[in-house]
Amino acid sequence: MKKLLLLSLLAVAIVSAKAETTAPIDTGKAAAPAPPDPPLVFSGSVDTYWKYDFAKRANIPTSFASDQNSVSIGMIDLGLKKKVGKASFVGEISFGPRGQEQSLPDGSNSLDPIVTPGVSSYHIQNLYVSYDVTDKFNLTAGYMSTFVGYEVISPAANFNYSTSYLFTNGPFQNAGFKATYAFSDKVSLMAGIFNNYWNTYTSYSSTGESLGSGDVSTFGAQLTVTPVKGWTAYLNVLTGSYSGTEFDLTTAYQITDAFKLGLNAATFSPPHNGAGFDGVAIYPQLAVSKVVTFGLRGEYFDVKKGGGNVTGITATANIKAGPLTFIPEVRFDNKTTAFYAPFKDSNGVSTNSASQFLLAAVYAF
Amino acid sequence: MANAQKSLLSMNEHNKYIYYQVVDLPGISADSLYKNAVYFIKQVYPKTKPMQMSNNSIIIKDKFLTYTYIVKHEDGEIACTLSIECKEAKYRYWLTDFVFTPYEKNRYGLFVPINGIDIPLETAISKVTKKELDGYLDQTGSFCKQLSEKLKKYMAEGRAIKKQDQPPAKVVTDKW
Repeated sequence: MKKLLLLSLLAVAIVSAKAETTAPIDTGKAAAPAPPDPPLVFSGSVDTYWKYDFAKRANIPTSFASDQNSVSIGMIDLGLKKKVGKASFVGEISFGPRGQEQSLPDGSNSLDPIVTPGVSSYHIQNLYVSYDVTDKFNLTAGYMSTFVGYEVISPAANFNYSTSYLFTNGPFQNAGFKATYAFSDKVSLMAGIFNNYWNTYTSYSSTGESLGSGDVSTFGAQLTVTPVKGWTAYLNVLTGSYSGTEFDLTTAYQITDAFKLGLNAATFSPPHNGAGFDGVAIYPQLAVSKVVTFGLRGEYFDVKKGGGNVTGITATANIKAGPLTFIPEVRFDNKTTAFYAPFKDSNGVSTNSASQFLLAAVYAF
Repeated sequence: MANAQKSLLSMNEHNKYIYYQVVDLPGISADSLYKNAVYFIKQVYPKTKPMQMSNNSIIIKDKFLTYTYIVKHEDGEIACTLSIECKEAKYRYWLTDFVFTPYEKNRYGLFVPINGIDIPLETAISKVTKKELDGYLDQTGSFCKQLSEKLKKYMAEGRAIKKQDQPPAKVVTDKW
């Protein structure tokens, strides 16, 4: 079934690419009379990695790049999008550990976040439709990658290959309905209602039963501000009685052609007075040539109510060879004893530090 | 798709890429040509305010998308400036100030501009590969050619173009 689906997607892409070879170039002017509709766009990525934790065991518990001393796969990600007039859709599917059990919910088993590998994943990363009511006002509904946070699931859209604690502990996807209004080129506001639980394809009843009535009760909003050219800031809130409340600031400033500085800060309060988290991560990146960029990620992550904290430093390089990016990365994490991650040294003794090296390759098309 | 279209571009005295044309239209006054140029601008750029629109000359900003070749998706956009100047029985126009902004795929599966990255095509070889630059120049040449053909039609025919766009005459098929 999966092979059939893949073959169908590839066939659609090949037919569309062939049909588009004589199409006029889209001028990108929404205001032009009868502009040609953009073609059916096909894109995606594949990624693979090797990771070596210096304690000879997988210590750092953030998302993806999980296998110790193994040449492992991330995912193959395949996306289609099409816009006709004011209406558009995006469909994006993924296969592989990163694109199934490590980032997607089980399609059949209510709130169980762990998919039975290869069995019940719907493979859907994005599935939504969108309509431009006006040039400034857009409506979108479906299952979407979350608007919260700096890092994302796709390795092609992240600079670092390993992920932050902020990413791992925040939402991955939110299904719902959202409206976005652009007040100007510099300010826009999104507000939406989303299913009661994060990271699920459907809403669920309060008891977690899929047959009971769920509700669409999570409120989300994002204020986007572009104070100066090159600098964009997103102020995000996601709040609901089932999944809790997260406030998030995500911002990036391309200060020069070569230097970019990113920042992510968030605070999360779960429902029922549980222990949430506070965290901040900073992302300086310096392009030293047209193919090599170096970057750091410095993160401080604190679990509220005495749950301890962790500080992580990750040094990463992106080395580009056309569509292929090699990502060597070294990471050092130091935690307090109370922090939940069970770091152990090479002798199996508990410790408060962990370090790893990884080499990843990501091909984006 | 646009092989060797970059040959349509030249370098001007400021060492900037330019697509430059002078067109003779004998018998048409400068005033009429300017009116045709204004009509072209209003039809093709109905929501864009020209940077200059006086003294028989118009300057307006434009931009177009660039695509990857093998698997076709947006790769970036190239902004440029279109200038038109009218005289008695002739006009000239040129496209220049080509600045490339790369796109990246965002979390929603859409390709969007990278905010803050603007690369003039003249210096792009320090930022992109030669193959990529050749592709952008080819697509720039292709865009200029298409826009040029459209502009020439408007300048030659003016408002008559609108009449040509009307639906074809009806044919009565029950009498033959």
